[in-house]
Amino acid sequence: MVKPDLRPTLTPMISLAERRRIARLVHRFGFGPRPGEFSNLLAGGFNQAAEKYLSVASQDAFADSQDEPAVRDQGKRPAPNSPDVVSYATEKRAQLTSLSFWWLDRMVLSEHSLRERMTWFWHGHWATSYQKVDDALPMYLQNQSLRRNALGNFAQMSREMVNDAALIFWLDGQTNTVKAPNENLSRELMELFTLGVNRYSEDDVKETAKALTGYKVDKSSGQVNYYPKQHFTGSIKVLGTQGSFDASSLSDFLVARNDSALFITERIWYRFISSMNPLTDTSLTASFASRDIAALVKAIGKHSALDNPENSMVKSPIDWFISASRALSITPSKFSNPNNIRNYLNLLGQLPFFPPNVGGWPADQAWLSTSSAQYRIQFATQLVKEADLSPISSLAPKARIDGLADWLGVVEWSSRTKMALTGAINDPARLALLALCSPEYVVSA
Amino acid sequence: MDTITRRQFLKATGAGALGAAAMSLSIEEIANAAITRPLPLGTPILVVVTLYGGNDGLNTVVPVNDPIYQSLRPGIAYKPEDVLPLGENLYLNGSMSGMHSLWNKNQVAIVRGVGYPNSDRSHFSSMAIWQSAIIGAAKTGWLGRWVESQPEDPFLAISLGSILPPLLAGSKRSGSVLPLGGLKVPNGSLASDCIKLAIESRSDNLLQAMAAKTMRNLFTVSADITPILRSPAPAAPDLPTAIGGNAGGDTNLSQQLDIVAKLVAAGAPTRVWSVSLGGFDTHADEKGSQAILLGVVSQGISKFMSQMRATNRAKDVVVLVYSEFGRRVRGNASDGTDHGTSGPVFLLGERVKGGFYGEQPSLNNLKDDDLAVTTDFRDIYASVLEKVLSTPAEKILGNWKGRTPLFN
Repeated sequence: MVKPDLRPTLTPMISLAERRRIARLVHRFGFGPRPGEFSNLLAGGFNQAAEKYLSVASQDAFADSQDEPAVRDQGKRPAPNSPDVVSYATEKRAQLTSLSFWWLDRMVLSEHSLRERMTWFWHGHWATSYQKVDDALPMYLQNQSLRRNALGNFAQMSREMVNDAALIFWLDGQTNTVKAPNENLSRELMELFTLGVNRYSEDDVKETAKALTGYKVDKSSGQVNYYPKQHFTGSIKVLGTQGSFDASSLSDFLVARNDSALFITERIWYRFISSMNPLTDTSLTASFASRDIAALVKAIGKHSALDNPENSMVKSPIDWFISASRALSITPSKFSNPNNIRNYLNLLGQLPFFPPNVGGWPADQAWLSTSSAQYRIQFATQLVKEADLSPISSLAPKARIDGLADWLGVVEWSSRTKMALTGAINDPARLALLALCSPEYVVSA
Repeated sequence: MDTITRRQFLKATGAGALGAAAMSLSIEEIANAAITRPLPLGTPILVVVTLYGGNDGLNTVVPVNDPIYQSLRPGIAYKPEDVLPLGENLYLNGSMSGMHSLWNKNQVAIVRGVGYPNSDRSHFSSMAIWQSAIIGAAKTGWLGRWVESQPEDPFLAISLGSILPPLLAGSKRSGSVLPLGGLKVPNGSLASDCIKLAIESRSDNLLQAMAAKTMRNLFTVSADITPILRSPAPAAPDLPTAIGGNAGGDTNLSQQLDIVAKLVAAGAPTRVWSVSLGGFDTHADEKGSQAILLGVVSQGISKFMSQMRATNRAKDVVVLVYSEFGRRVRGNASDGTDHGTSGPVFLLGERVKGGFYGEQPSLNNLKDDDLAVTTDFRDIYASVLEKVLSTPAEKILGNWKGRTPLFN
């Protein structure tokens, strides 16, 4: 007679390391789990989760059916005090709102988060602000270009960016002429976009500025026109190479450099693995040999550094808000007072389309201050009011603390947080609020 | 390469480097400290004004009669009737009338041609050098190291705004930040929940411990003081930054200085204040936008000085104004200028010995189209440390010999 197996039939215990690795995958390469998603990923293990999260999806049920934002060419601003100026300004504001919520919704609702996650990364990389561009259409066109190429080829992305109206206008490229080149775009192209600081000389900055002459922006339409007469046609010497360049061929030349592979690998590492422990394993650049972004992201996502407990990261305000919205089933544009969302993101210091400078947003400790703690508490209070709390309220009280961790994709609660949560065990809304503000959620451990 | 980007710098030293999180203070806490332990009268106070983006020194202190200046800058050069006389054939930007009248009272020192060897033209790298006073990989700011040389006191050095500038970052202790807009502390059951959540846990990693600490700080605000100051209005930009604004910095200098003035007047036990203004990256249409910005700087500082004269702290306050670099001598075709090298540094106050210091870089003697550096900025820092902060410069700057005799 076979003895009956009396052990409880639970899902196999998953190690803490495996749980951490999957949690990091979901929060860093995606925007956090939807209800039930984390438990499913745990059941399948890391390799299966990585396959899902690090692959480029051909279809996306939400993204493919989302309406376009209401942005269009508004033409030039009417004269001050003219009758048209009020309707112009009203529409301008509405366009920015429409564009902002279009993207926030997309980040929350896309089935496959990696493309939006990477689009967000590239927005911070080619950091361009509406503050100066002041028209929604060119910002939207840039955003579409970044999304199209987010997991494509970096050479193509860079070529599109050096020809991008919003970026050129942001960095004064439209006033860069052969007579007196403007170096703003050429410097940042090498320092912040393709090579990294000190991987070029001051002479290279002056020379490459010449290659970027002759491009004029028609801002409201987001079109760039090329004026051959204003383009420097002579030969220039860039990084030791003599030749005649335009914006696209200059971009190709820079992107083909080994320094460019190293730089982009460093930047993705900085945002996805650790800003505090810089890239040391330069062998990763091999996966970027053909400038295939998807291949590089996959290699970084599978790198053993994702296991290292030291590589924790603070969720930026967007990371925090989008992952909370996904868990709480909140659609940003349908929020009862959508302005509240932009207001809190602004107070927390991270509003999409408004990076603080051309270097993009800061990381980690910069997001931890007492003022951000207070805004996070206020913001979470608003969010919880409109949340679907059934993933927690449907659980028996004693199952709720573990249930919260699985719901939100938290690695583990400290005894401190368990104690705080235990005091609120019968109140799902309070539980959700405390969990969202806990150090274990604010930091991707 | 041993120079670093601003992001790397912020990572190493900024808003709370590991072990040196920036304490975020409320205006009530500072007011409370001002009541309970006011700064003794006669203690010097340093106000550092950082101009982000690279201020064009040649259109700030203008060699308007120099034919080379006129010929290299068509469209950007000022005319003699636009500028205010300083002497030695130099003129102040016409929008800076407030600072000009302080100059005439001998309360402004202008150090000419300030920079460092082998100027770095990256905003981020050059600002890291100015704020750390270290050329090469830096982990701390010069005033952050000063904070660490003093007895521990979170009120000693305060930056306005919610992000700590690298300037005030130390390795174990940093300066504090005062976010504009004040703090709204949760109350009732939410407060007691959050207090529980903010307890330090042994299992916290460094960042989690910092997250818990920042939340804890919310509740250390003393609840029962009589606020002697109203909370400041929400941060409101007071000028457009559409042009030249893509290199960072704040937009509300006058509001920041206004709060500093109130807190100094109240007796805050603070020796160093840090404020900033962005928008100086004038690659295009420079003339108008730089004049607006310099007008804000001049008006803000002269108003601040007159507020100080209404208190008994006028003799104590020294204002230091700098930017990460000057700009190229030759204008570009966008009626702007590209990144350059040296520029003027301003010091203001009744303690300051007014007048010119350092040699004006000659336009006959440009190196790669750029101005020469005639004074190292660390000479100025060394004198400020010794004469304003009463600290041996060696402790902060190492073995730095140069001094600028700026003070009475």
